Amino acid sequence: MVLDVGAVRADFPILNRILPNGKKLVYFDNAATSQKPKCVIDSMTEYYEQYNSNAHRANHTLADEATTALESARENISHFFGTSPENLIYTSGATEAINLVSYGWARYNLKEGDVIVLTEMEHHADIVPWQELSKEKGVEVRYVPIDNENFTLDMEAFEVALEGARLVCVTHTSNVLGIRNPVEQIIEMSKRSGAYVLLDCAQGATHEKINFDELNADFIAISAHKMAGPTGIGCLLATTERIAEMGPFMTGGHIIKKVTTEGSTFQNGHAMLETGTPRIAEAIGWGAAVEWLSKFEMKEVHDHIHKITSWVGKEMKKIPGIRIYGDPTNRNSSGTVSFLHESIQSQDLAMLLDEGGFAVRTGHHCAQPLMDALGVPSTNRASFWIYNTQEEVEEFVVYLRYICERFT
Amino acid sequence: MEEAGWPSSIDEIIEEFRDCFDSMERYELLFEYAKRHPSPLPEEEWNEENQILGCQSRAHVKCSLDKNANFLLRAGADAQIVQGLMAITAIGVNGLSPIEVTKVSPEYVKEMGLESSLTPSRANGFLNMFKRVLLEAKILSET
Repeated sequence: MVLDVGAVRADFPILNRILPNGKKLVYFDNAATSQKPKCVIDSMTEYYEQYNSNAHRANHTLADEATTALESARENISHFFGTSPENLIYTSGATEAINLVSYGWARYNLKEGDVIVLTEMEHHADIVPWQELSKEKGVEVRYVPIDNENFTLDMEAFEVALEGARLVCVTHTSNVLGIRNPVEQIIEMSKRSGAYVLLDCAQGATHEKINFDELNADFIAISAHKMAGPTGIGCLLATTERIAEMGPFMTGGHIIKKVTTEGSTFQNGHAMLETGTPRIAEAIGWGAAVEWLSKFEMKEVHDHIHKITSWVGKEMKKIPGIRIYGDPTNRNSSGTVSFLHESIQSQDLAMLLDEGGFAVRTGHHCAQPLMDALGVPSTNRASFWIYNTQEEVEEFVVYLRYICERFT
Repeated sequence: MEEAGWPSSIDEIIEEFRDCFDSMERYELLFEYAKRHPSPLPEEEWNEENQILGCQSRAHVKCSLDKNANFLLRAGADAQIVQGLMAITAIGVNGLSPIEVTKVSPEYVKEMGLESSLTPSRANGFLNMFKRVLLEAKILSET
């Protein structure tokens, strides 16, 4: 069955938006955040209009409904990711999920001299927590370089870096290059050498079905807002064994068993790691988003995105002055084209594209080590998702060519 | 300075922009102004001290007094849109007293039809550069 993009688009009111300059919105900033289908917006509105209440620890009807909705979302989301509710810890997003591993697991389990392996492809969210840990605990951080020829990870260097490593933190899919890393191989090699694995699936979860239990990673970090869900929520998926080794990341309400003036004792499992009032509306919205996404075969979604990404990548290469970073035609590429023009500065180019209604991102994309490896300070990035169409990318190529001709 | 909040030398430029057929023509004109900056800050002088934070592009501002104790704005940015806006600003503020510069409003950019450059959330940096100019003018007016 082929994805009916027209029907998909009908679920997204924002895609009909006319911008202040009269141009129709063409949204190509999906790697930053996706748009939200009406059912997600409605589910959150319904919560606030009909049963807004704090979850847990109350006996009234609204609290019961809110608690049920929160936990039912946990169940649906965890099943979507191929695991059990007990293995899902709500966080504010992938960044907090990675910090949770750093503060809640690594600080309790790693010691001076232990080795953490990262890659040059990582988002800052998967670099800075480890640099901070390194300063605090004296752990060694190693970086696996990328191969500048084909923009993929240097797997020989990865094997060398694995020597004595306790933890490997790798992005599933680069937010700059769109390249999907060979995560199955990375996990297998890491496990063989005795290292635990944290996968940053902030990008990857939007392009393929992530099955936590099958992947056999120890931790997976996910953001809801890139996969049709609301901002402000995500999760850490963690194995039961790793959760048992974790300690509180933040302390406060909900996570405690008992508090006396002498001290406190904590709950077990994910309850120990989710302090404060939960993100109830956001969890409900995310639950609605995974239910909406479950209508589609993720392979079809990937095929559709790959088709338009591959086409636009090939066509953009024909525009004089445009250079593409990464290989959008690579079968493992996921909907992202990073590019620069040789004489139009990236920010100028983004502003000029915006004049035509095209929303693309510019900057270092929170991946400065990767920018350094590519030898550029920033790139323009067009990123596509389930609702983008062939017509949109064709219009984009025409307009980009026009801009490049007019401003050089 | 006129009541409008910007130096009269900018009025003529506003008219030029108003005569443009569409936004693309306005950007073309802005790119031309970037090339005709009256007091550019060459890249060799770009450093952390004169760097404007919060810009996605590289942007630098250095303000001083000329030999007549009038304001001199030197600015450099790798983005032509920012550099063009700073060139127009320099045309307006160079030669004024620092105290006069502190009273300049960036609203002329809106009059030129480039209001999107004034949105604080836009990462193009012009507003940050402009605020820096006002701050330096205030410091220079007090010395």
